[in-house]
Amino acid sequence: MLENMALGFATAFTATNLFYCFLGVFLGTFIGVLPGLGSLAAISMLLPLTFYLEPTTALIMLGGIYYGGEYGGSIASILLNLPGTPSHAVTCLDGNPLAKQGRAGVALFITAIASFVGGTVGIVALMGFGPAIARIGLSFGPGDYFALMLLGLVAAVTVGGGSVIKGLIMVVLGLLLGTVGTDVTSGEFRYTFDFLELRDGVSLVAMAMGLFGVAEVISSVRGSSERKITQRVTLRSMVPTRADMRRTLKPMARGSSIGGFLGALPGTGVVISAFLAYATEIRVAKDKSRFGKGAIEGIAAPESANNAAAQTAFIPTLTIGIPGSATMSIMLGALMIHGISPGPLLVSDHPTVFWGLIASFWIGNIFLLILNVPLIGMWVRVLQFPYKFIYPVVIALICIGVFSMRTSVFDVWLVVIFGALGYLLQRVGYSPAPLILGFVLGPMLEENLRRAMLMARGDPYRLVADPLTGTILAISGLLVLWAVLGGVRRWFGARRLAKYSVDEA
Amino acid sequence: MSLVSLRLVVATILAAIGAAAFVIGLDYDFGSATRMGPGYFPLVLSGLLTVLALAEAVSAVLKPDPDDSPTLDWRPLVAILGAVGGFAVAISLFGLVPAFFVVILFSTLSERGYGWLPATVLSLVTCFAAWLLFSRLLGITLPLFRWGL
Repeated sequence: MLENMALGFATAFTATNLFYCFLGVFLGTFIGVLPGLGSLAAISMLLPLTFYLEPTTALIMLGGIYYGGEYGGSIASILLNLPGTPSHAVTCLDGNPLAKQGRAGVALFITAIASFVGGTVGIVALMGFGPAIARIGLSFGPGDYFALMLLGLVAAVTVGGGSVIKGLIMVVLGLLLGTVGTDVTSGEFRYTFDFLELRDGVSLVAMAMGLFGVAEVISSVRGSSERKITQRVTLRSMVPTRADMRRTLKPMARGSSIGGFLGALPGTGVVISAFLAYATEIRVAKDKSRFGKGAIEGIAAPESANNAAAQTAFIPTLTIGIPGSATMSIMLGALMIHGISPGPLLVSDHPTVFWGLIASFWIGNIFLLILNVPLIGMWVRVLQFPYKFIYPVVIALICIGVFSMRTSVFDVWLVVIFGALGYLLQRVGYSPAPLILGFVLGPMLEENLRRAMLMARGDPYRLVADPLTGTILAISGLLVLWAVLGGVRRWFGARRLAKYSVDEA
Repeated sequence: MSLVSLRLVVATILAAIGAAAFVIGLDYDFGSATRMGPGYFPLVLSGLLTVLALAEAVSAVLKPDPDDSPTLDWRPLVAILGAVGGFAVAISLFGLVPAFFVVILFSTLSERGYGWLPATVLSLVTCFAAWLLFSRLLGITLPLFRWGL
């Protein structure tokens, strides 16, 4: 362990890697601060920039963009009551009331500290459990992989709240889009419509940029001129009182554990951890009425939870090759573009990548702290900058980013199509995240199912009879059943309940 | 509330995508459960998509959302998509810098009263920044200006 970490730090502490780690955190925070754009948009926008880098450096930078983006989203949530991503909807609940009370500085400071604590806990968990899980992963057969991916997809739509049928539609559409291109086994072209560009499949970046970037910009243009920040955030205003500090310690510990655990599970991830951590705080609090009116615990717990989850989400992605969230599936795509196939062998075959990345997480989290406490005024100014000058440039960057990836005009047209689709879907309450997850997992899911069925000689019972595969499939089945029952109950009566159910942001 | 809600329209589009994919998928070899052909997965998925989307469509008709049904913001939708499309056309015809000009200018149309002056200034500034970035700093090989295909 120690020598692994030494190797990791030796990799991460080179001047190049430090620079790109910093750049990633900086740019990620910058894009995350912009209204409507989250870490996922940040990663897909900046992915083309990393093509010129060494794989390890590229990943370090992408990692920095990821947690930078997560943190940037919190700033916008607290100051504007405008969650960039669903996981920040929770931060808004108490963060914005605090800002209205003139305590935005404290809220931002606690967010920075909670993020750092959560991130640290997540990294320790990643170091401790990552290699162990990789060893277990070595013994997985195609059936187990298939079952695990299916569980991830099912969990992504059933656990998150919101409409299950809409989530399922998104997953299936994503899986279907994943079949576009050359079939690996037979070499046949599927759904290519004689487009040469589609033989390699639909471009992940074009799709993500359309669904998340363009669609988000379209819906955030309206009303953008009314958003204003009246508060000045100074360093002095960030100093929390002693009571604030005392109140945040335990919530941070609880939040980090919840996030660290849930982040590693397939399909759950940062959003659910944040919600659960918040709910837990309400449950243990003596005075529940303070929540929603600016309780500092209401920021500390979810922020530490989503940052812990953001780190442990790398466990399944790197060690088994199964991403748990849309953002992680983009990271997985990035790994493969750089010629590294994630999976149990990553830890042993590419130790510099694995440990270097983990070490860079530590460094990146420290950069994040440095960037966000003394330099908070800069981000506030970014937020104050009129949005009307920002979004045209964002659209231009999306265009050039997608175009330069393969010098393909076709991919830019794909952005138009997915932008339109994404906007339509978003308006009627579909979340595009499961679509991306399905898209990335689709080809792997199909390949593993084919192999598993070949080994089982076409008999599905043999597949289920395997203890591990069977158990995982049974859990997926139960999740679907639970969700369907919930749906049926809602259908018959209890309209009242719908009001209280948590809407997806 | 209008008879046809946006929710119904979207569900119908999704069902149509599923149905079309199913019909096309019929051409691919289905194979068997043991040896799945290239058509197995697409057929199962597109069938599933069609059924789910139809169920959602039925639910949209039978049980419409109690709130006002969502509508589309046509102006930013058309302007932003037009900007991206304009970029695609302009970059293949005129090169990188004009494409930047087009995408910025079209994007600014998504708000009423943006004003020609700020729009033009922003476009020019971005074009200059792009030219500086790509020709001086990154040394990218994309043609900055060109004429015709």
